[in-house]
Amino acid sequence: MDIKTLGKLTKWMETTDLEEITWKGNGEKISLKISNYPQQGQMLPGSSLVAVNSPSIGVFRFAPAGKSNLVKEGSPVKKGQELGVVEVGKEYKPVLSPENGSVKIMSVEDGKTVEYGQPLFFIEPR
Amino acid sequence: MSLFRKVLIANRGEIAVRVMRTLREMGIRSVAVYSEADRASMHVREADEAVCIGPGPSRESYLNMQAVLAAARLTGAEAVHPGYGFLSENAEFSRACAKAGIVFIGPSADSIEQLGHKAMARKIAVKGGVPVTPGTKGCVEKGAWVKEAAAIGYPVMIKAAAGGGGKGIRIVREESQLKHEAEMASSEAQAAFGNGEIYFEKFIDCPRHVEVQFARDSHGNAVAFPERDCSVQRRHQKLIEESPSPAVDKALRARLAEAAIKLAHTAQYVGVGTVEFLMDKDCNFYFMEVNTRLQVEHPVTENITRTDLVKEQILIAAGEKISISPSRALNFEGHSIEHRINAEDFSRNFAPTVGRVEEWSVPGGPGVRLDTHIYQGYQLPIYYDSMLAKLIIWAPDRRQAIARSRRALGEFRVSGVSTTVDVHKLVLDHPDFVSGSVDTGFMARMLEPKVPAEPAAAAK
Repeated sequence: MDIKTLGKLTKWMETTDLEEITWKGNGEKISLKISNYPQQGQMLPGSSLVAVNSPSIGVFRFAPAGKSNLVKEGSPVKKGQELGVVEVGKEYKPVLSPENGSVKIMSVEDGKTVEYGQPLFFIEPR
Repeated sequence: MSLFRKVLIANRGEIAVRVMRTLREMGIRSVAVYSEADRASMHVREADEAVCIGPGPSRESYLNMQAVLAAARLTGAEAVHPGYGFLSENAEFSRACAKAGIVFIGPSADSIEQLGHKAMARKIAVKGGVPVTPGTKGCVEKGAWVKEAAAIGYPVMIKAAAGGGGKGIRIVREESQLKHEAEMASSEAQAAFGNGEIYFEKFIDCPRHVEVQFARDSHGNAVAFPERDCSVQRRHQKLIEESPSPAVDKALRARLAEAAIKLAHTAQYVGVGTVEFLMDKDCNFYFMEVNTRLQVEHPVTENITRTDLVKEQILIAAGEKISISPSRALNFEGHSIEHRINAEDFSRNFAPTVGRVEEWSVPGGPGVRLDTHIYQGYQLPIYYDSMLAKLIIWAPDRRQAIARSRRALGEFRVSGVSTTVDVHKLVLDHPDFVSGSVDTGFMARMLEPKVPAEPAAAAK
């Protein structure tokens, strides 16, 4: 499948309720999937703050073992910057900042159990 | 071993609520896991604790072993009840639980593997002296197709070794179709299950689906319950189940129970399970498959034997003995019928419907049990199966049970989504069902001429 068709397909998919499609043919297989990362960048009503939600159930750590992370309330953060990780089994799932800005509220502590979709940080976008 | 203090239910919907009820009666705390789409679901409300484990699609929540196990560890649950569907017959999950030091309430990973593989299960049945349909000893290689099919005699059924739920089954009536159908079956099985192995069986025309619930504990005690008849099915999906079967007498029942117990012992099975049989018109029964989980239709057995199968599962998983004797298990009273009420539009070929349940007014009164997770105002998520409720009737005999079913279905008032309530009424009014002479082709025959011609008949 060429990029043009793929682009069209992606556009079309956004207009539907589909979450995932798989296309097979001519020895090719293409799967398209809407991201299931919990809804990010949601503004809180009546506030300019943006919540950063946990990507998984697990244990929250500011950094994987042996690494450090100095993020604290007031720290400036960049879009895509790792704010921490959620440890599930032997895996670490990154918690990424959805916006450029600064950390306004930290609603989690190191070592705390978190659920999927639970707000961990609130970012003041810049 | 003492009983558990806390059990996690790795499921949703009515079965999660059903399991929690027993846990509460046993004084065990329950933990629900749920997906983002199920925040407002009944099982979340009914549990003592609930944790969100992922987004709506099952693969990332209810089928996500790592997330389920993390939830068990983080909440301190000692055991996991898998319900039916999802991870309930997943050997890898049973093994992962054991590795994590969490008890899987179900059989061992080895048992699930052996009995979930149809050809292997068949071998166990043969070893245990349980009658099987004439068929190939194991999987058939391409070169042997014609010879093997001829030895069995047409019509022949092609089945996928790793299949289930009626998927991958093909019927061949003459040799000229064999090569094409077998190739299709094999490539379908490869695509669906990642395993293209197939085997052949004699096709039995107009069989009844009769199954036997059994339980065996780690001390080697085994019991079998009176048979369930699940012949009313559409495209291999059961609609109505009843117990006892109108086609089975006391002597046959004893033979069915004996076969189930033999199978349980031969497989060294520990847990609650079901062996499914096909029964021909002359009441010969043949082993079909084993379900290594609690089944949707388990309440009809509970109804007529006054038992709690979830409780037996928990006792067995905790290393205790089954709480009832073999003769007590087979001793029953009355008749029970279960109706699966689905959110499907039967005028549109049973297409699933979604939406908000605007009105949910349910039947009650004597002999009526309703297992459901639906409430008024509930928004049906798009991700999961379409079952809304199981209406389970008990009455002193079959005739009265049918009358009670009819009465209860008439009390069911649902709006906002389409349901299959009216289909059940049609079945109850059908002379073949009333006389107890249905086979697995009954639904197809009943629906074929009627649905396109007079859709208004359903609205009555």
